[in-house]
Amino acid sequence: MRIAASVCFFLMLCSGAWAKTPVFELEIRDHLFHPDELRIPANTKVKLIVYNRDSTPEEFESYELNREKVIMGGRKANIFIGPLAPGVYPFFGEFNPNTAQGRVIVE
Amino acid sequence: MRLNFRRLAPVLTGICLAACSAQLTADGTAVDKVYHPYVEPLEWELEWRMIHENENPISGESRRQLHRVGFGRAVSEFVFAEFYLIGEQSAENDFELEAYEFEILWQMSEQGEYLLDYGLLFELEKEDGVDVWEYSTALLLEKEFGRYSATANIGLQYEWGDDIVDELESSLALQVRYRQSPRFEPALELYMGQDTLGIGPAFLGAERLGIMKALRWQLGVIFGLDSDTSDYTLRAVLEYEF
Repeated sequence: MRIAASVCFFLMLCSGAWAKTPVFELEIRDHLFHPDELRIPANTKVKLIVYNRDSTPEEFESYELNREKVIMGGRKANIFIGPLAPGVYPFFGEFNPNTAQGRVIVE
Repeated sequence: MRLNFRRLAPVLTGICLAACSAQLTADGTAVDKVYHPYVEPLEWELEWRMIHENENPISGESRRQLHRVGFGRAVSEFVFAEFYLIGEQSAENDFELEAYEFEILWQMSEQGEYLLDYGLLFELEKEDGVDVWEYSTALLLEKEFGRYSATANIGLQYEWGDDIVDELESSLALQVRYRQSPRFEPALELYMGQDTLGIGPAFLGAERLGIMKALRWQLGVIFGLDSDTSDYTLRAVLEYEF
């Protein structure tokens, strides 16, 4: 029963209220990220809205951020990042890895 | 606080599954791969999975191997569907097709959006040549702690058919993974079921083969912690994503 109680407790927490999350925006245009450098606060969860202005899909990918998210052409996606320790976290576009590159600077 | 069905559904499912897990446990080996509550849109997948028990204390079979070959694809942004053929062999029995399975994985939250990432797994399995069916539902939970990721699969299974005694079972699989590098991630896994209580290390990795192409692998050895569980169970997974 302890397992059951613990799982229920965590599930209630995960479905409940949460603090206001700072929002940052990023665009994919001509297979490039704009801006290609994003500064976010340390130890804070942020919401990153990525707009794909191209007609083809792109994937925001970063092993360092532990995120992979496909954004279909002409659509947007929400990516939640952090809380993170100060540092530099690179990301790239899986469909255009040579051009679509950027980094998140946590400070 | 605003609540809607999308947030309430996993809570209610979790309460039901967790409550049942306290009372019921699954028979047969519960060692399998640990599922993560994420779907990658546009993805196709070809999978081979193997479970090898050195000796099953319940059935008495030795060197029992279970092989699954699966083919799946993301059918929407949040839903992945996969079909499996399942074969089995042991020292006493030759390899033969054992069952068919259809599986749906439903990602229910964006990664990192809530305190826990969550999803649901639905599986329907039919044994070949006999009237034995199994339906299972599992709640998939994941939480990131820096470079560590903790995952739980809380499952509830129902077996029925003319050739089996109808039965309700449950299972629990836990994994703590260290994201050391894309090619190598060590993990510790725990599996619980009616005839399974085991713990052991696993190693995971991925090799990028091109745009939207990758080969993922997993290898683990689970040591039995009670007399009903095989002394050791090897598990392996190869997934080609494209």
